[in-house]
Amino acid sequence: MILAVTVAVLITGGVYLTLQRSMVRAVFGMTMISHAANFMLLASGVSAWRGEPIDGRTDVALAADPLPQAFVLTAIVITLAVTIFMLATAVFGHDDDQYRTPETGEER
Amino acid sequence: MDAQNVQTVDAPLDPALLLLLIAVPLGAAALSTLIKHRGFDRTLLLGVPLFVGASAVVLLVIHQTHPVLAHSVGGYLNGLAIPFVSDTFSALMLLVTSVAAVLCGWFLIATGEDQYRFVPALVLMMLTGVYGAILTGDLFNMFVFVEVMVLPSYALIAVTGTWRRLGVGRMFVIVNLLTSTLLLVGVGFVYATTGTVNIATLANLEELDGSAQLALAFVVVAFLIKAGAVPAHTWLVRSYPNTSAGMMGLFSALHSKVAVYAIFRIFGTIFGEPPAWAWALGVIAILSILIGSLSGMAETRIRNTLAFQMTSGIGHILIGAVMLTSVALQAGIFYTVHHIITMAGLLLVFGAVEQVYGSGLYRKLGGLAAREKATAALVVLGLFSLVGLPPTSGLWGKVGLVVGAAVPLDGGRTSALGWVLIGAIVVGSVLSLFALIRLWRAVFWGDAPTTYHPDSALTGRSPATELPVDVRIPKRLLAPGAILIGVSVLLFVVPQPLIEVTQQSAEALLQNGDYIRAVLGHD
Repeated sequence: MILAVTVAVLITGGVYLTLQRSMVRAVFGMTMISHAANFMLLASGVSAWRGEPIDGRTDVALAADPLPQAFVLTAIVITLAVTIFMLATAVFGHDDDQYRTPETGEER
Repeated sequence: MDAQNVQTVDAPLDPALLLLLIAVPLGAAALSTLIKHRGFDRTLLLGVPLFVGASAVVLLVIHQTHPVLAHSVGGYLNGLAIPFVSDTFSALMLLVTSVAAVLCGWFLIATGEDQYRFVPALVLMMLTGVYGAILTGDLFNMFVFVEVMVLPSYALIAVTGTWRRLGVGRMFVIVNLLTSTLLLVGVGFVYATTGTVNIATLANLEELDGSAQLALAFVVVAFLIKAGAVPAHTWLVRSYPNTSAGMMGLFSALHSKVAVYAIFRIFGTIFGEPPAWAWALGVIAILSILIGSLSGMAETRIRNTLAFQMTSGIGHILIGAVMLTSVALQAGIFYTVHHIITMAGLLLVFGAVEQVYGSGLYRKLGGLAAREKATAALVVLGLFSLVGLPPTSGLWGKVGLVVGAAVPLDGGRTSALGWVLIGAIVVGSVLSLFALIRLWRAVFWGDAPTTYHPDSALTGRSPATELPVDVRIPKRLLAPGAILIGVSVLLFVVPQPLIEVTQQSAEALLQNGDYIRAVLGHD
């Protein structure tokens, strides 16, 4: 339950921020949505506490499902890279995105 | 489960070699960043897709006798390991994407855009993702390769752009990241409901219950957004035209078509028969055809009009997945091949026009029919192909789709959905014709412009200068697009080889027994 509520809160905040005009806020919004996605992935395994999924250290019956953890790890890396790139696009160029839609270059 | 790699013993080639098709572009991308040499970069940019295209031809020949080659990476248990699988459909997609990539690469070299920083490396990285997504047999791995494919394009959209294009780049990144997140969540849900993300294991399940279908629907929706289907097409038609023409050709041939490949794979191999909500996909297909064709009429720039034609094309292609009969799938795959070739060809030809005359705006162009005979002929053929008129591959593409929509699964009378789809194809073709006639009139008829903005990769677009009488589009700029449009005409004259290959592809998708046996090693 607590996971579902957390996901709901993160998605709500994320959607609100992403719909803002400023790129930096949109980046924060995307970060929150990605966090929500990671929680959803974790919830696809068993969400209760389980042992480390390391061979020879934890009994297989008590170990957590390693696959969702691997999913989340991959997703975090990808999101981090894209977030950095998005922050770069936020500072490049004109900082006029808070007042009007950026030029699309369609006049040329 | 057999722990060993259980390929048929007499496979003519070790399936582990499939990994080379991903490793070579990846290695080439790394080399291209390390060794900065123009000739070396150009060799890689053209050589790598040529290599993969040649390999795809070899694979197509092999699949005549061995329908599926599969390799489980790392020697883990089959079904647990990440498999890389090649069947006729994936080999065909490898071939077509490679052909488009070679010719777009050639165009980038001709315009000098390959000299922008890291462009060859980024294009090669993008190709790595494309080939990986086509070859992988695991949904999560497919997500990763789709990310590998779109990450370089974020940079490519900015690198070939001016400051103005950066605003569009922001939108492109946000939409794609949001879609990727949706895809990721969908894959997570598939894992939660079925306990596996392996396509063969999913296909081998006795029955997909409602929740598993819903989870897969998440994945399908994410791919639909990536493909630019209505109602989520606006990001595509506003971002693609603002990159350069060569880049747009690459994006249109690779990005949206990988999404199409994934949708066909999920519907064909995993579902096998239309799910209960197939009508929803039908509605999306119909809306994409109609809205895509109609919206092109209101555009005032060449490549914006063509971008809406991409949306319309996605609608046509989806008919294959909506009907999910072998006839319809064959037609859908044929249309995919035709659409990649025609769209890339037209984009490259108009790219040459924009490069020389410095604008894609209707009002800044005109009277080209008198000046540029060869270009006019190529454009006529390309536009005919989009509409579906002879002498081009578009005719067979649309005929196939109409037949596919007319023959339902049980082979009986045409269903109501079939009639609506046929109506949409016909109305869409007429609307496309009007939109493209408008493009033709604005660009090729009327008065020639008095000024132009010659474009250069080094100095950018020049200010308006007097248009001399003897300015012509050089042959070297026109050649890549001419070859692609030539292929489209060739497919009209001799469609039989491609029809046979697409039939085998459709069978390979629907008869998933070979796929499952090759990946899992048992039925």
